[in-house]
Amino acid sequence: MTDITVTVNGATRTGSVEARKTLADFLRDDLDLTGTHVGCEHGVCGACTVIVDGRAVRSCLMLAVQAAGSEVTTIEGLAPDGALGTLQQAMWDSHSFQCGFCTPGFIVQAAAFLGAHPDADEQQIRAALSGNICRCTGYQSIIDGVLLAVQRSRAGISEGISEG
Amino acid sequence: MAQIAAERYTGASIRRSEDPRILTGRGRYVDDIKLPGMLHAAFVRSPLPHARVLSVDISAARALPGVVAAFTGADLEAMTVPGPDALSALMGAAGPTPEFTLLATDKVRFAGDPLAVVIAESRYLAEDGCELVEVEYDELPPVASAAFALDPGSPPLFANLGDNIARSRSRNEFGDVAATFAGADRVYDFRIDVHRHQNVPMEGRGCVASYDPALGVLTMHAATQSVHVSKIALTMRLGMAPDKVRVLAGDIGGSFGLKIGASREELAAAAASRALGRPVKWVEDRSENLTASGQAREESFEVRAAVSNDGDLLGLDVTMVIDTGSYPGMGGMVPAIIEAMLPGPYKLAALGFESVGVTTNKAPYVAYRGPWASETFVRERVLDLIAKDLGLDPLEIRLRNAAPRTDPPAVMLTGRPLAGVTTRESLERVAALADIPAFRRRQAQARAEGRYLGIGVATFIEAAPGPRSPEGSSGPMGSESMRLRLDEDGIVVLFTGQMPHGQSHQTTLAQVAADEFGVPFEQVRVVVGDTDVVPFGLTGGSRSATMTGGVTLHGARRLKAKVLDFASHLMEVSARDLQITDGNVWVRGDPASAVAVSEIARQAASGEFGADVDARLEVEAMFDGGEGGWSGGSHCAVVEVDVETGIVTVERYVAVEDCGALINPAVVEGQIRGGVAQGIGAVLLERSAYDSDGNFQSATFMDYLLPTACDVPRIEIEHLQTVPLDADVNFRGVGEGGMIVAPPTIVNAIEDALSPFGVRICEQHLPPARILELIAAAEAD
Repeated sequence: MTDITVTVNGATRTGSVEARKTLADFLRDDLDLTGTHVGCEHGVCGACTVIVDGRAVRSCLMLAVQAAGSEVTTIEGLAPDGALGTLQQAMWDSHSFQCGFCTPGFIVQAAAFLGAHPDADEQQIRAALSGNICRCTGYQSIIDGVLLAVQRSRAGISEGISEG
Repeated sequence: MAQIAAERYTGASIRRSEDPRILTGRGRYVDDIKLPGMLHAAFVRSPLPHARVLSVDISAARALPGVVAAFTGADLEAMTVPGPDALSALMGAAGPTPEFTLLATDKVRFAGDPLAVVIAESRYLAEDGCELVEVEYDELPPVASAAFALDPGSPPLFANLGDNIARSRSRNEFGDVAATFAGADRVYDFRIDVHRHQNVPMEGRGCVASYDPALGVLTMHAATQSVHVSKIALTMRLGMAPDKVRVLAGDIGGSFGLKIGASREELAAAAASRALGRPVKWVEDRSENLTASGQAREESFEVRAAVSNDGDLLGLDVTMVIDTGSYPGMGGMVPAIIEAMLPGPYKLAALGFESVGVTTNKAPYVAYRGPWASETFVRERVLDLIAKDLGLDPLEIRLRNAAPRTDPPAVMLTGRPLAGVTTRESLERVAALADIPAFRRRQAQARAEGRYLGIGVATFIEAAPGPRSPEGSSGPMGSESMRLRLDEDGIVVLFTGQMPHGQSHQTTLAQVAADEFGVPFEQVRVVVGDTDVVPFGLTGGSRSATMTGGVTLHGARRLKAKVLDFASHLMEVSARDLQITDGNVWVRGDPASAVAVSEIARQAASGEFGADVDARLEVEAMFDGGEGGWSGGSHCAVVEVDVETGIVTVERYVAVEDCGALINPAVVEGQIRGGVAQGIGAVLLERSAYDSDGNFQSATFMDYLLPTACDVPRIEIEHLQTVPLDADVNFRGVGEGGMIVAPPTIVNAIEDALSPFGVRICEQHLPPARILELIAAAEAD
């Protein structure tokens, strides 16, 4: 077992893990952050995407010990108090998702991408999200949600419409 | 608070109440459940497609630190009640019942067949334990194709069947088949193949089984399309009284027909939990999901078509072979539905239908979105092949053959009236939206530049729910129950047996109830997923819009009547003069009289009333589908085929559909787009591939390819004005149609693109390599 310290969603978290434990399993099982979903365990579907030191990574392909000393942001870190950010609000307004299983991966991937490409167009967004698989929607509603977030960010609407 | 200032919620794209939790990572899926003392299961699976099991040695696995138990197939038989597959038994599958055990005992029947389970403190340790299980096999010749299965010399998978015929050959005729074919100008012969592909929800199957030895109660946290169907399987197989089994379900990561009831693995996990007195979690990994959860389609059709020189489709004579895989499941039930649906919306004079189901060394056949979809593929493909031969336009041959809407309605050759079917309208509208003449000009121009564009049209109808039969006493889809209650906080609570896994029922049913009862949308709560409180039900077969939308409407109406009755005692006004709007009961014409429904409910709960006053503000409702009706539509695709690489790009996709009255257009459109995406995947990418020895070839997402955001185009949707058949409930199912009609739409477009090469396509799976083969073969002719 190896002792590790990871900054997760801004908080210092420690754990004692087997070297073979994936970051996804560490987040889900040891830290109870179950928003990160495991969809294929071989790096194709993107459901387990988290941000590590500013980059979107597949947490099923990264070992927990490799994340030692890193800063990790999960879906839970994007809505710390349950309030929706611009991207999530736009996705709600766009009926982006259905079953919700792929959702955290898409949101984290899209958030990381928009951070670096705030003015992305549809083709760029499709390419950026082409490593995430959704089986329910045919993608259009997801793409529309991201485009709406881009548009709102551009217009300076940083906060979502409040919902009672 | 109210997000949309609509007079009515029904018909508006209300934002989903499911989303705030799903968008923030706070959904609760089965793998998110963690119970005190919980153990983890992993299964030992056969690497061989067909073999006798000589021995299974679990001793080394049991000795591994962290492993709590290991059970063989024989152990599981001793721990459970033997019997046939529960779902097949429940659905009354025809034919003899093959031997069935939860885990394989003396024989394995497909690569992936589970034959032992290891229970450990973590999934990692359980998988370590699986590595230590020693199995000795005596290999048998694999039955890897339907053709071999039909050979009486093929080794039977099930000794008690004696051969590999899972569903015996049968033939039915409608109309005068012999005379129709004898009198036809032309008779065509085609062989149409549909390949094996599968559901692949992003969340696989899984459960947490938790047996409480003190109470003797099993609580099953499941991912299922019906908590009650899961419960039936659990009570049967575990031999437990119904009151000792409770099935719960939370958020479910998709299913598309896969998660009906409790699987073999889930039943084994439940038996293990009971034996150990501790909770046991099993969540399949993607390899298990692709290899062993189940697969669908793989059907072949010998089609004879009797046609007039003018393009009238007079008769079809079809022989179908279905490869149902290794264990009994949905496969045996599919041919009868295909037979019933084969005429589609067309005025056929004769239909012969023969079918046989075989068992092979492949994963079992499961329901997959529109399980009978091949009837549409066959019909819509054959119409294009005939049109091409006769020099007719594909749209023209469809309009020529589609039954006109008459009163009384035309009746399908197989029995159901085509009441309210809008096939002609949807065909004409989709052709107009696609602007076929303009496309033909563009196509000619592109061809001159060496680019191959094609356009395809296909149409379908779906019995969702289907019309009420004139002589039938019951509705088209059985009945649907619901319990509704007004709580003291003014919330209208709906208890439904629907088990949403992406369908947005917590939103759509609340829309219907809010309108009918007269409260804001936010004042309705939809309760699902608990056998202790919800009535029997199943999410599947595109039934929820009509059946559950309908029972919600009628139930809310009854609850409202009951609340008004009670309020009339309190307010000393006749119930006829009272109404409920915006959450208040008030006397018509006197806004000052408004009393909140919460206040009415509080008084009902706390007050004392005479025996003549019914203060229990709860109703049970049933709905039989009313007059029912058809769902349907016509789709059009424009594709470009790169004849150098074989890559097909879907450039444009237009859907014109009629699913009756829309409850929530955004939800409806999501269902259509999702189904179309699966259809595009089925044609261009997806195949559950076995080699000729029965080895599974597509156990990862690098081998089983799913469409991505770069493969699926924008899908344009237009809703037709429907023909209402029922006084109140004209919502119709829309879950399966996209997946039913997209494959022929795409294949028709590909064939059109390749028409300069003379390519004729009689199959559904067209990956790049196959496109190149078809072009090469046509050029060689």
